[in-house]
Amino acid sequence: MIDRTVVDFVKVLRTAELAVSPAETLDAMRAMNIVGYEDRQFLKNSLSIVLSKTPDEKEAFETCFESFFSFDKFSPAEEHQKTDEQQGHPENDDEFDPASKQEEGGGKSGGQGMGQGGGSAEEASDDEGLEPTSKLGKLLLARDTNAIMVAMVEAGREVHVNKIVVFTQKGLYTRKIMDAMGLPELQDEIGTLGNEGGNARTNLAGKLKKARDRLRDKVRDYVEKQFFLHADESGKQLREELLKKVKLSNLEKRNFKDVQEIVFKMAKKLIAVHSKRRKQFRRGHLDIRKTLRHNMQYDGMFFDLHWKSKKIDRPKVMCICDVSGSVSNYSRFLLMFLYSLAEVLPKARSFAFSSDLGEVTRLFAQSDLEEAMAKTMRDYGNGSTDYGQMLLDFKNNCMDDVDKKTTIIILGDARNNYGDPQSGIVKEMYDKAKRVIWLNPEPKMSWTVGDAEMDKYAPCCHQTEVCNSLMHLERVVSNLLRSST
Amino acid sequence: MSIKNESKLANVEVIESNFEALNYICNPQIATAVFLAYHLEKPILIEGPPGVGKTELAKTTAEMLGLECIRLQCYEGLDESKAIYEWKYGKQLLYTQVLKETLSEILDGAQGLTQSVDKLHEFGDIFFSEQFLEPRPLLKALKHEEGCVLLIDEVDKSDHEFESLLLEMLSDFQLSIPEIGTVKANPNRKPLVFLTSNNTREISDALKRRCLHLYIPFPDADLESKIVHARVPEVPEKLRLQLVSFIQELRDMDLKKVPAISETIDWARTLILLHSETLDADLVRQTLNVILKFQEDIEHVESELQGVTNRALKET
Repeated sequence: MIDRTVVDFVKVLRTAELAVSPAETLDAMRAMNIVGYEDRQFLKNSLSIVLSKTPDEKEAFETCFESFFSFDKFSPAEEHQKTDEQQGHPENDDEFDPASKQEEGGGKSGGQGMGQGGGSAEEASDDEGLEPTSKLGKLLLARDTNAIMVAMVEAGREVHVNKIVVFTQKGLYTRKIMDAMGLPELQDEIGTLGNEGGNARTNLAGKLKKARDRLRDKVRDYVEKQFFLHADESGKQLREELLKKVKLSNLEKRNFKDVQEIVFKMAKKLIAVHSKRRKQFRRGHLDIRKTLRHNMQYDGMFFDLHWKSKKIDRPKVMCICDVSGSVSNYSRFLLMFLYSLAEVLPKARSFAFSSDLGEVTRLFAQSDLEEAMAKTMRDYGNGSTDYGQMLLDFKNNCMDDVDKKTTIIILGDARNNYGDPQSGIVKEMYDKAKRVIWLNPEPKMSWTVGDAEMDKYAPCCHQTEVCNSLMHLERVVSNLLRSST
Repeated sequence: MSIKNESKLANVEVIESNFEALNYICNPQIATAVFLAYHLEKPILIEGPPGVGKTELAKTTAEMLGLECIRLQCYEGLDESKAIYEWKYGKQLLYTQVLKETLSEILDGAQGLTQSVDKLHEFGDIFFSEQFLEPRPLLKALKHEEGCVLLIDEVDKSDHEFESLLLEMLSDFQLSIPEIGTVKANPNRKPLVFLTSNNTREISDALKRRCLHLYIPFPDADLESKIVHARVPEVPEKLRLQLVSFIQELRDMDLKKVPAISETIDWARTLILLHSETLDADLVRQTLNVILKFQEDIEHVESELQGVTNRALKET
């Protein structure tokens, strides 16, 4: 039971973007065994130390812990003595104040005592001799708040309330939980009690009805809280996954912000993976160990020297982006990617063109992406595309900077408006650079249709790729980093 | 795991009061971390801004338990030969020389190459044996007889490769030396491991996963006042409250490097040396270089000095 709780809690943490591994879950269980459950603060500190591993995560942990381990006291007894439904509700709201959760123990016993004292004295005479027969009815009138709470959580588990994804499912899950707790039985009982008549019976039926309504409120609140715990984040994840796969040209303006966030996230991941790989090469100290070990076979004569070496090899990337209308969205995100990767790709240079080529490296380094993109579009966009001119410009201005370490990425649809493709220049790039990668947002079938010149350019590239979603972009950039280290 | 003075780790309150006896004032989180580290047998990764007592925690724990504190300072380029073990090359060379000279005696009576080689093998392979092994901090900590506190300081300064080297040590308390085999810690005397990091780069997930994670933030005014009291007991209470509230305000300002606890303590000592009873703007201006380490910070604070000092004075 407690294991189950830990697992559920870890699930909640994961939806809140804490990376908790199974090993850490096991640690948490061991820690709980040592720490015990009596001291809430102590338990929280301990779990925080075991499960959250950055200051950000600690903060997220705090909120998760507070909302996960706060159980509302459920008190049908209180409701019971109040004939006025309206009065019950403000009370209800108070109970949901998270601050009061801490004194849950104290508050609960107090409320219960009051309920028993006031409520039962008043109505004891009516109640006499009549007991509800259904399980849920008994539970509700037993005034055991804990038992009801536990029953509710268990029912929730049974119907997998933590799988709730969208807001509209709330009603469904509320009903499911109520059913699992034995609502049908209770309904039947209320029905029969009402039909049979008699003062005491009607009274009891009324009481049960009220308790039932109150329970429904509680369950609804519980479901709502579960929704916020489980679904809020997973909904977001769902959206993100979707955005990653959607064609970039179909993205709407209002999604740009989300996408930007995703790009940064992906970039961060790439940085984490690839900054580890970056080796530094420096012919420096003599590695005595290695040298000795290797020269042992030569009778200890040192003639095979080994050096402690460091390799500094950062990829030099030149990125040429078509920013004419049809391709601009792709360029936008490719550039966004490259600039988010500044940490591992310090030597990226970018160029934009629709007919004439211009370097925009500075612009992107200095101003933020929106602005830089807007300026680029203003200065270079909107012309009819001319790949020949672009390649000529590149040859005249930048070809000298291309060396064996350079990777050239060209992003464009290769639609040249039937002009001179100048594929010879691409060949020249191919010879000089380490890699030439051509990214084309169009599907492969249309690469040679109409004015597209892909068939002329493709043989002069090391790699040609269809690239029209964030997933593709990520893959390309990741490959780029991998091959360069 | 049982080490001497185990009773000092009985529960969180005991740890707190024991630390306090050693003039290390800590909050419940810190004590909880030490408590769990011992009982779960897991290393603690301590993060936080510089000067909040990360290294001090390890040292104090060692002192409290009466164990030796073995320290490994990390830096770029640190490798296994400095962290785990190194062969004593000079001795090994000498050994080969000796071996060469006595070779004829050993091989005496051997017929043919196969027999000679067999005989050589019988002679035992002590070339790579513990006699020629020079243990470095990690290995030393593992082999320590009574258990010890191992402090791996500023692990973020080391390379990624070194981080991976640590993994075996941190999860299983064992190290593999290819020529000898696996060295394991005495299961009842596992070292208590502290790693500190200043967050200059992200520590890898693999390492984080194996550790408990403790984040020590700057202390609040109350705690800091207690710390100053413990460390510099001769500071009069009035001055102590003043200087703590002054520092607390500095931390909210936009500075290149905000003063840490160690700076607060240094400042308190300075003020004692100057026989000051209370803060005033001039005194603060003269001693500002104790708490601020960048000229631009000093200039920035100087412009608002009067106001901040007055507010600090009002506090008490």
